[in-house]
Amino acid sequence: MNKGQQKVLDWLKKDDKKPFKFQEEAWSYYAKGYSGLVNAPTGFGKTFSLFLAVVIEGINLANTKDKKKAKDRLQLIWITPLRSLAKDIARAMREVLTELELDWHVGVRNGDTTQAEKLQQKKSMPEVLLITPESLHLLLAQKGSSTLFETLKCIVADEWHELLGNKRGVLVELAISRIKGLQKAAKQQHLRVWGISATIGNIEEALDVIEPDLNAKRIIIKAKLNKKTIIKSILPDDIETMPWAGHLGLKLAYKLLPIIEKSKTTLIFINTRGQSEMWYQHLLNLEPELAGRIAIHHGSIDFELRNWIEDALHTGLLKAVIATSSLDLGVDFKPVDTVIQVGSPKGVARFLQRAGRSGHSPGETSKIYFLPTHALELVEAAAIKEAAKENNIESREPVIMVFDTLIQYLVTLAIGDGFDDKVIYEEVKNTHAFKMLLPQEWSWLMQFITSGGDSLTAYQEFKKVVKDEEDGLWKVKGRQIAMRHRLHIGTIVSDAMLKVKFLSGGYIGMVEEYFVSKLKVGDSFTLAGRILEFVHIKDMTVIVRKSKQKKAMSPSWLGGRLPLSSNLGTVLRKKYNEVLNKTHQEEELNAVYPIFLVQQERSHVPRNDELLVEIINNKEGFHLFAYPFEGRLVHEILAALVAYRLSKLIPITFSLAMNDYGFELLSDIEIPMDDAIAYEVFSPENLTEDITLSINSTEMARRKFRDIACISGLVFQGYPGKYVANRHLQSSAGLFFNVFSDFDKHNLLLRQAYDEVFYQQLEEPRLAAALHRIQQSTIVITHPKRFTPLSFPIKVDSLRANMSSEELEQRIERMKVEVFK
Amino acid sequence: MTITIRDEELILAKERAIYLPQQELLAISDLHLGKAAHFRKAGLQVPSTLAQGDLERLSILLERFQPKTLLINGDMFHHDVNTDVDDFGRWKLQYSNLNFILVKGNHDKLDEKQYQNLGIKIHDPSYCTSSFCFIHDAVKCKEENLYPISGHIHPGVAVFGKAKQSLKFPCFYFGNDYAVMPAFSVFTGLSLVKPKANEQVYAITPTKVVKV
Repeated sequence: MNKGQQKVLDWLKKDDKKPFKFQEEAWSYYAKGYSGLVNAPTGFGKTFSLFLAVVIEGINLANTKDKKKAKDRLQLIWITPLRSLAKDIARAMREVLTELELDWHVGVRNGDTTQAEKLQQKKSMPEVLLITPESLHLLLAQKGSSTLFETLKCIVADEWHELLGNKRGVLVELAISRIKGLQKAAKQQHLRVWGISATIGNIEEALDVIEPDLNAKRIIIKAKLNKKTIIKSILPDDIETMPWAGHLGLKLAYKLLPIIEKSKTTLIFINTRGQSEMWYQHLLNLEPELAGRIAIHHGSIDFELRNWIEDALHTGLLKAVIATSSLDLGVDFKPVDTVIQVGSPKGVARFLQRAGRSGHSPGETSKIYFLPTHALELVEAAAIKEAAKENNIESREPVIMVFDTLIQYLVTLAIGDGFDDKVIYEEVKNTHAFKMLLPQEWSWLMQFITSGGDSLTAYQEFKKVVKDEEDGLWKVKGRQIAMRHRLHIGTIVSDAMLKVKFLSGGYIGMVEEYFVSKLKVGDSFTLAGRILEFVHIKDMTVIVRKSKQKKAMSPSWLGGRLPLSSNLGTVLRKKYNEVLNKTHQEEELNAVYPIFLVQQERSHVPRNDELLVEIINNKEGFHLFAYPFEGRLVHEILAALVAYRLSKLIPITFSLAMNDYGFELLSDIEIPMDDAIAYEVFSPENLTEDITLSINSTEMARRKFRDIACISGLVFQGYPGKYVANRHLQSSAGLFFNVFSDFDKHNLLLRQAYDEVFYQQLEEPRLAAALHRIQQSTIVITHPKRFTPLSFPIKVDSLRANMSSEELEQRIERMKVEVFK
Repeated sequence: MTITIRDEELILAKERAIYLPQQELLAISDLHLGKAAHFRKAGLQVPSTLAQGDLERLSILLERFQPKTLLINGDMFHHDVNTDVDDFGRWKLQYSNLNFILVKGNHDKLDEKQYQNLGIKIHDPSYCTSSFCFIHDAVKCKEENLYPISGHIHPGVAVFGKAKQSLKFPCFYFGNDYAVMPAFSVFTGLSLVKPKANEQVYAITPTKVVKV
C-alpha cells in the first residue's frame, strides 16, 4: 500500500467508512496507467472513485518533486454536462482536499463563471478544473491555451451516458484528441481518460468512444451494487374522467398533495419548461399553504435563483421542487425522499435516473410515482415498470461524422493558437466520431473554412481561416469573426433568447425572442413561478414588473419531443396483448381496461401479430391511421414511406402526423386502401430506394439542417443579452438549405442533413424489421364512425409534415389564401 | 400572366419581374447584388453561383421582353462594392442600349459616383409613369393620383386547403392602396402578406404565376 492510499483510508476510517470495492479497483487501475469507464449507480461515490485516484497520485508525488511553477499546475479536468453539477462537486472536492491536507485548488469554469474568475484562471490554473464541454472548447479558443495542459494527468467525463448520444459528446472527443496531441508534441504523455456512466445498453461502446485507442490500457469497472426502486402509478378514480390526449396532466394534480405532505422533500419532474410553469401555478392554486415551500427549477431560470433553490434543497427548506431535466443528474440532495414523474419519460434509463434522485445514499430505496397525462399512458407506465424490473436499459448511440461540429472545432482552434492541418487530421481521424473520415472530405472541410467553397471557386474576398506565413499554422485574423464564433461555441441550438429583468433590478431568467415578439405592453406571463407584467424591451433585455393578475400565459420554449425508445415499444406491444388476454399483473392495466373496451367497440384492439389500420372520414378530410407501435422517429419515416407509395398510385396530397403508437395520413380526397394495397405499401421490398425518395419529398432533412447551419456557423443565433445586431448578415437556415440544394449540391453539410435522417433517425434495420414483422402479421382494416382512443391523440397533434404527388397549380386552385376580413 | 391595373396592361413573369408593354419597361425589385459576397467577407460560405444565377435569370427576361428600360425598384446593392458587383459590371456590358434606372432603397448607400461609373441613373425617392409610382417603400409615397408599386418587404403568401394543407410562395401583391413586388434575389426570406377580401395576390410557382 502506498502513502497516498493509506492517507485516504485513514481519513475514511476516522468517519467509520471504508471504500467500496469498485472505488479501490479504480484507484489501482488508475495508478497502473489505465484509462477506462466506471459504471456505478448515483449515490455510491462514483465521483470519489476517480477523484481520489488522482488525489492519491498527487499525495504520492507531492514530496518527490519540487513545487511546480504556478502556471503549470493543472492535474485533473472534470467534464460535467450540467452547470448545476459543478458547484456541488467542487464543494465536495474542496472538503476532501482540506481533510487530506493537500494544497490543491478546485476551479469551476462554465457559462456562469465571472469574467474576473476566468482571468484569474488564465494567470494560474487550479489543479482541478470543473468544466462543461462547451467551456472546454472556449478554453481551446484562447490564445496561449496550447501550453495549459502539459502537466495534466487525467480527464474525467462525468455522466458520460448523457453526452455520448449527442454532438456534445463529439465536442468532448475532439477536445480530448487535441489535449492528447498537445502532450504528445510536448513529450509529456501522462494523460489518462476516464468516463463515469450510469448503466446503458452499450457500455463497451461507450468506452470505445471516450478512449478509442485500442492499444491503450483500458478497463471497465462495474460497481456490483443493487439499487432498490419502488415504482407506483397514480391512478384515476374513474378512467372515464381521464382525457384521451394531452401532455399536461393537471386533472390528477390533487392526488399529489397528500404525497408531498407525507414526504420530506419531493422532486416533481415535468417534461417541458412551459408545462412546469403551469404546474407550479396550479399546485399553488390547489393548496395556497404551499406558498414559499415549493419552488420551480429549469434551464431558463436565472443562475442566482437556481443557486438559491439548490441550496434550499440541500438544507431541506423546500417541501417540493418542480423541475425539468435540469435536475436530472448527479447532485445529491439528501432530503429528497420522493420523486414524481409527470407524463411519460419515454425511456427506462431516464425514468430510473430520475427515480435515483430520491434515496440517494447507499442502501436507501428510491421511490418514484408516475402520473399519467392521458389514459393510454397508463399502458406505458406498465411497460416501463416491466422494463425497469428486467433492467432492459436502452443504448445511447454515439454520434459520428458530424461535419458541422468538426467545422466549428477547426475554427475554434484557429481562433486559439492556430493549427497544423496535417497534425489535426491525424488527431481527428483517431477519434471514434471521425474514424471514417476520408481524405477528400477533410480537404473539402479545409477549403470550406479557408476559401469558402470547393476548389473550383476560390473566392478572393472570403476571409475566415487563413495561413499565418510565419509559423505555417491556420488562424483566424478577423476580430469580428473570432468574437462571433466564441459566442456560439456549442452544439445545443435554441431560439434567440432574451434575458428578463425587473424594472427595479434583478434578473429572473430567459425567454425566447419569438415569445416576446408576441407580447404587448401590459401583457402578463409567468417565469420562475412569478407572474410578470411586460413593460418594454431595452438593450436586448425584457423589462418587467410584478403583475397583479392571478393568471397569465406561460412562455413556450422550443424543445424537441422525446421519442419512445425501441426497448419500450416492444414491451408496450406485449402489454396490449396482456390486457386483451387479461393475463396482466399491473394495476395500471386494470384501470385502463374500459378504454380498451371503447377501442374494441369502435374499431379493434390490435394484437401482437396484427397491424391495425383505421379509415375515418369527417368534414376535416380523409384520415388513415396505422399503429405499428415502433416509436415516434420510426413512425415519421414510415408515414413518409407509406404516403410516398400511396402517392404513386394516384395524384394525392397528404398531411402527416405521428406519435409513439402510430401515424396518420390526412388527405382532402379519398385515400385508396384495401388489403392488397395495405400489404404493398408496408412491404420491405425496394425499401432503401423508396425511403430515399420519400425523405427527399418531405422536409425532414431541411429540419435537421436548422441545427447544422447554427453549429457550423452559417447562421448566427445570438446569445442571451449579448445579441450582436448585424442586419446585413441576417439569414436563415432554410435559405441556406435552398441555396446549397440549388447551387452547391456536393456541400457536406447538406449531405449531413440527409445522413442524420438516415442513420440517426431512420435506424434502417429497425424499420426493415418492423416491415417484416408487419408482413407476417394480419393487417386489420376498420372504418370507425368516430375517432378512437388510439387515433384521437394523433389527430390532435399539430406538428405536421407534408407529401404530395400533385401538380402545384392544381393544389393552389383548391386552396385559399387566409384573408383579413 | 397578364393583368390590367389602372387601365394599363402588366405582365407578371414567374422570374419575379413585371413588364409594362406600354412603357417598354421591365421592373424588378430587391436584387441585393453583392449579398453573397458580403456574407463571404464575413466568413459565411455562400456560393457565388447564386449571384450569377440571379443575373442569368435577368438575362432571360431581357431576352424575352426586349425592354428599353430596366427599372430596379430599390435595394439593388446589398451593402458595398465587392466581387459580385464587379461581376455585375461585366455582365452589364452586353446591354449598352438598355436604360438602367434605380429607385433608391434603404440598402442603396454607395457613392453617387459609383452608380455613375456603372451607368445607372438614380431616382430618389420614386420613378413615376402616367399611372404608377415606383417607390421602394410604399408608405413613403406622396403621389396621390398614382398607384404606388413598391418592393422592400419581400412578400410571400400562404395558402391553406382542406385536410390541414398549406403552401408558401413568393408573390406579387396588388392591394387597394399599393402594390408590392417580389424580391428578385433568391437569397432572401419571405414576409407573409395577408390580403384584404377584395385585394389580389399572385403566387409564383417554379413553373408559372398563379392567381390565389
